[in-house]
Order: sequence, then structure tokens, then C-alpha cells
Amino acid sequence: MDFGPMVSALMRNKTGAILVAVQIAVTLAIVINSLYIIVLRVEKINRETGIDVDNVIVAYVRGFGENFDVVDSITNDIDLIKSIPGVRAATVSNHVPLTGSGSGTGLRTEPDETIESVPTARYRWSAEGLDALGIELSRGRNFYPEEVNYILPASNPPTPASILVTQQLANDLFGEEDALGKTVYWGSMEPSTIVGIIGRMHGSWVGWDKLENVVIQPGKPAYTSDKYIIRVEPGMRDELIPVIEKELGESNRQRVVLAMRTLEEMAARSYRSDRGMAIILSIVISLLIGLTALVIVGLASFHVTQRTKQIGTRRALGARRIDIIRYFMLENWMITTAGAVIGAVLTVAVAYWLEVSFELQRLDWRYLPVGIVVLWVLSSLAVLEPSRRAACVPPAVATRSV
Amino acid sequence: MFKYNIKLAFKSMRRNPAMTALMVAAIAVGIGVSMTTLTVFYMMSSNPIPEKSDVLFAVTMDSWNPLRPFDEDEPERAPHQLTFHDAERLLALAEAKRQTAMFESSLIIEPLNDDDLPFEAGARVASSDFFTMFNVPFLYGSGWDKSTDSSADPVVVLGKELNERLFGGEDSVGKSLTMQGIRFRVLGVTDHWEPTPRFYDPINGGFQEVNDMFIPYSLTRVLELRSEGSDWGWKSEDITSFEQWLNSENVWVQYFIELDGARDRDEYVSHLDAYVGEQKKLGRFERPMNNNIYNVEEWMAYHEVVANDSKVLVGLSFLFLVVCLLSTIALTLTKFVGKKAETSLRRALGASRKMIFKQQIVEVGMIGFTGGLIGLSLAALGLVGIEYIYEAPGGLVKMDWIMVMTAIAVAVISSIIAGLYPAWRVCRIPPATQLKTQ
Repeated sequence: MDFGPMVSALMRNKTGAILVAVQIAVTLAIVINSLYIIVLRVEKINRETGIDVDNVIVAYVRGFGENFDVVDSITNDIDLIKSIPGVRAATVSNHVPLTGSGSGTGLRTEPDETIESVPTARYRWSAEGLDALGIELSRGRNFYPEEVNYILPASNPPTPASILVTQQLANDLFGEEDALGKTVYWGSMEPSTIVGIIGRMHGSWVGWDKLENVVIQPGKPAYTSDKYIIRVEPGMRDELIPVIEKELGESNRQRVVLAMRTLEEMAARSYRSDRGMAIILSIVISLLIGLTALVIVGLASFHVTQRTKQIGTRRALGARRIDIIRYFMLENWMITTAGAVIGAVLTVAVAYWLEVSFELQRLDWRYLPVGIVVLWVLSSLAVLEPSRRAACVPPAVATRSV
Repeated sequence: MFKYNIKLAFKSMRRNPAMTALMVAAIAVGIGVSMTTLTVFYMMSSNPIPEKSDVLFAVTMDSWNPLRPFDEDEPERAPHQLTFHDAERLLALAEAKRQTAMFESSLIIEPLNDDDLPFEAGARVASSDFFTMFNVPFLYGSGWDKSTDSSADPVVVLGKELNERLFGGEDSVGKSLTMQGIRFRVLGVTDHWEPTPRFYDPINGGFQEVNDMFIPYSLTRVLELRSEGSDWGWKSEDITSFEQWLNSENVWVQYFIELDGARDRDEYVSHLDAYVGEQKKLGRFERPMNNNIYNVEEWMAYHEVVANDSKVLVGLSFLFLVVCLLSTIALTLTKFVGKKAETSLRRALGASRKMIFKQQIVEVGMIGFTGGLIGLSLAALGLVGIEYIYEAPGGLVKMDWIMVMTAIAVAVISSIIAGLYPAWRVCRIPPATQLKTQ
């Protein structure tokens, strides 16, 4: 097919063609950049946590009144919770992973305050803590029961002899070396020995780039407000929540059950801005693609109607139906390709703006060629029906006056 | 004449209903999306206390680790909170017009009747100036007076919602309630107060609800209250009692001042420098002198209260609006060019170019206006969706009249701009040529 007449036909109505090309270009820039943000957020939300999120319940309790004995209360509560059928494990903990609320510290491999410490989230729980969150210890051992003691408020807990760390934290501290059995130093320069290594576990702050840096100290925090982490048999979570809440409520009138939460809902809450962004952008690009496609269809149909006579003339002069279809498809393809070229530049410009102004991750360049191919397919589909209609114009139209 | 224009516009719009619908939809969707994101951005970046935002300041002093800055990414910044004892001394010095130290805590409210259950309520622990400084509206009573700042009387100011829960919303001034085993006297009840963003504490969340109640800062010692907001420490200290905790180098108290005018800023910082100079002699504040105060807008920017995501969405949705306008131009152009014959006829019958031009503009203006109205309803829907997705308190993001007017204006003006070029093309159609073939 000869491009010459087609180009000259396009040039006669160049404003319209340019407008559509620019619209396609901006559409491409928005869609590719948004899609990339969506994919990153979805990946972030679906990261492997190392925790049995679906089967964990957290109870928030708080004692009050003069006769309240926090150690008694926690001991009785944990015993009570574990006596309920369906409960697998329970512990009191200073914080709960994935909830946004936590405690952080820094560890060093040498007792020297001038060297930079490795930042990490810190938890303190009993020997049942790992089981209560479904966390796998990949090497070494868990705490011995005698290593776990109550820790009262406003007291400096003694530095524990044994600690557990995640593999990620071990790598950050010791690099290639095996961290098991090694000594690390706290801010006070007191030492602890790594007795176990957790393959993977997320800490508290899902937006932090050191999310997988976690250290576990043995201990049962006995503060005024306490958190119990409870793991139940699969599928029993929702029926056990009211049972546990009721039993706890009835067993002690000097302790309020402030809230019962599933870890699933709290983790979802931590990710809600990421989920929100992904949802909003998905809606935006669906609307955008829909609109641009409709505009292409609309304009193509209009042009077909306008050029009825011209098409008839071409048919009368011997053009086959397929020639007419090809004409409209190719015309559209040329506009789309022009749009794709401008769009590629615009996409990179928008990606640069997002990266520089908002510290977003740099766009993966592979999105661009894929996007352009998808664009070709979509815009061809959009003009398919109008060009088929064009092909149905009978040659006889040419002989009639309008 | 205008009426005739509108009549013709209607006729023309009806002649090509699919095209007209597409144009209206393009504008509606563009306005809907961009107004949704813009409203969220507008809410996040609004000034919560415009009448005072340049005389209220958050105070920071660099008491941090001599070896490294508080924030490695922003090494010039001092910690954003103070130690308890520094805040206490600044309060005693009282060098600003008004000042308050404050933090978040919570107390168990014991039941008033036997059949009720005890429950936890969030408390803002603050100084007497808090209420006047931040223009807190009162329904009944008032805050506590200056003497309470030292006498530590157990008094409380309830929020409107908590007063409703406890006392059914009646004037509860003078009544009492028991918290932590102590009888508190109600001094006042605030009216609904929802500064957005919650400028006095962006550290613990700029868009959270205001605390349930307010109690005097002087009760911290008496009740051994701890902050339930964030606290930060760098020094390893031996802490075995509450008093040692209060005297530690942990920073967990927020400190705000009110000055007579923005020009008194440097003077107040020099007071801070003098205080830190004294402390340096005692061996504290080993870092270089770095005391700063931030007015409300600076404090919001410091804590990046406007989420980056919100800015990205505004940017992308305005690009979206550009696409919608390009669609409108392309559609308008096509449609007007399709009306060559009619225009020719009108011109031949004596219509001036100006009249033709006006006719086209009226038509796109109407399309823009309709699209804008539909776009507004889409935006309202979008905002409800956003509140749902982000679990925001209902009604947090709403369009005010300014936003509604902006939306309509943007829709009409942009569609008229979109119609200018096509209209210019149309009115250049010569009168007779199009009639010849017929």
C-alpha cells in the first residue's frame, strides 16, 4: 500500500490528527507511570512476612485500681487464654509486628560508640512468642523458659544473655560470616549472644526500608497496658475472638480488655495508604483508557461517515473491502505511532519528575515497549468496527449526489 | 439573542447525541478525577489556624547525642520533642506570651454507675495556656487557670463526645469522675474541635481525631503518666524510678509557644540559646548550639503532613484533565467541521462571523457546564470512596464552596478554551461555497 496519499490526506486535517496523537501520548505517559506505581505497591503489600498473619489475634488489656497486680494478672490471663480449646500459643509482648507501633534500637558488633550501629526493630516476648506468631526459627535455638522473666515498668531490664535475630539483621551486622553464637552490643555497650536465627520476619513499620531487621529479647513486659499475641488453629480465629474477650472480661474486674484485633486487619491498616494509592490509580487509568478508546472510536466513526462518498468512489474505482479496512487501520496506526513516539518522551519526563520530586522508584524501562505494543493493539481494536463499517459502503454511493 | 444561541446549541447537541455525550463525559470524568485529588490535597495542605499560624511556634532544642545527629537524613535538625525536665524549666521561665508543654496519654475512667464498665479514654496532657493558644472552643466552663500548672489539682476538660458518653451531653461543670483511683473535677467541656491537619501534634499523626479529654501537665508526676505518643532516646541511662525517667535524656514532650508577633522570633530563640548555654556548663547539650522554632506552616512542612502520594495524584490527575480537554478539542473540531453546510447557510443568510463564533462558544460552554456538574457529583462520590479506602473519619474531606466554584469554573473555562480553535475554524467558512454542491 502506498503511504503517500494517506499522508497527504492526514495533512489536510492535521489538527485533528495531531490532537489525537497528543492525547495518546499523554495517555501513555499517565498509564505507564501509574501502572508502575501500582505494581510496586501491590508487590509491597504482598511481601512474604514470615508470620502466620491469618491466625493471629491480639488482645490489648490494661489494669487499673490500687490492688492491681500486673504480674499475677498477666500470668493468669495467659494461662486462661491457653486453656481455651483452639488456642495454639500465647505470649505477652512489648509490641506487635506489622502494626505500625513498635520499638527500635541499634546494635553493634564492637563495644565502640563511635562506630555506626545497625538499626533494628526490637521485640520482647516469652519462649512461646515464635509459636504465637508462627515464625520459623531457621537455625539455633529458641529461649529457654528460665531465660524469660517479667519486666516491670520504670526499671532498666537486665541485658539478656541470649537473643534471636533475623537473617537480614545478621547479614547487616556480620555480612557473609555466620552470626550464630556471635556477640552483639547494645547502646549501653553491654553484650548479648545470638542463639537463634529467624529466616524471615517483618518488624513493625511496613514503610521502613529495614523492615526485616528484627531482634528478639526474652522477657514478659509487665506494663500498665499490655498486649497478648494469640495464635489459634486455622479457621477458628473469628469464633474465638468473642470467647477470649468474654473469658478475660469475666476473670478479672480490675483489668479492662481495651480491644481485640486480628493481625490481618491491623496489617491491612498499615498498608492502607499503599492499597489506597493502587486502587485510586487503577480507577484513574481504567477511566483514562476507556475515554481515549471511546474518543478514537468516536472520531473514526465520524470520519467514516464524512468520507462515505470518498470511500464509495474508491470502491467504484476498484478498491476491495480489505483495502478500505487497511486504509483506516493504517491511518490510525500512523497516528498511534506518532502518539507513541511523543508518549515515550513524555513518559520518561513524567517518570523523571516523579523520581526527583517525590523520591519514587525509577521507572523500569521495560514498561515502555510493552505499553506501546498494548497501545497499538488497543487502538487497532478501537478502529476495527468503524473501518468494517467503512468497508460496507457500496461502490454505488459514488454515483449518487449527496 | 443569548436565548436563541442556547436554543441552537441544544438543537446541535441533540443532532449528534453520542458525540455530545462523549464530550460531556470527557469533561465530567476529567473534572471528577482532578477535583477529587485536589480536594484531598487542599484538605491536607490547609491552614488549620489561619488567624494565628504565624505567632504559634513549635520549639526544638538540640539535646541529642554528641556523636551523631537526631536524624541522619536531615542532620541540621534538632530532635522534634524535648526532654521532660527541659520542658518543665522552659515553662517556669515563661519567656513567651503563652506556652504549653504537652504529650498524649490515656486514663481508665471508672464507671459512674455500677452497671457500666470501665473504659480507656485518650488524654492530652497540657498546660493551662493550651486552650487560649489554640483557640479551643468551649461549650461549658473553661480550662484550668495558671495556678493549676503548679498545684496539680485533679481537674479535667472533657471533649464534647466524651461528655455525651459520660453525662449525656449536659453541662457537667463541677461534676466529678474517677480516673486511676483519683476523683477529677470537670472544669469545662469543649465544643466540637477538629483542626485539620491536627497541627499541634503532627508527630503522632496529622489527621487523627482530637483527644477525648485534657488534663493538666502538672499531673504527670502525681499520676506517673507516660507518653503514649512516640519517645526517642540516645543515652543509655540507669532508670529504676519514674523520677529518673523524667530526668532522663529521652525526648517525648512537645512544646508550643505563642509570641506577640512573628518579629519576636529571634528574641525567643536567643532565650533558648541562653538556656542551653547554662545547660552546657552543666555538661548537657554537647552538640553545637541548634535551637529553632517553627511556625504552624513550617511545622506542617517539617513533618511532611501533605503525603507525597497526594501530590503525585494531583499531578497525574491534572494530566488526565489535559487528556480530557484534548478529547474535547478533537471532538469539538470534528463536530464543527461536520456542520460546514449549516454554518455556510447561516452565513449566507446574513449571520456575521462574530455571531457564528459566539454560537460555537455558547455550545461548548454549555457542554462544559453540564460536564462540570456531573464531574462534581463524580468528585463527591470519589471523596466518599477515598474516605472509605483510607478509613478517614467521615466528612474529613469535603468540598467547600470554593472547591465547587473552582470545579465549575475550570470545567466551563477549559471547555471554552478547548472550543476556541474549532470555533475560529468554523467562522472562517465562507458563506456560499458549501451551498454550491447541493
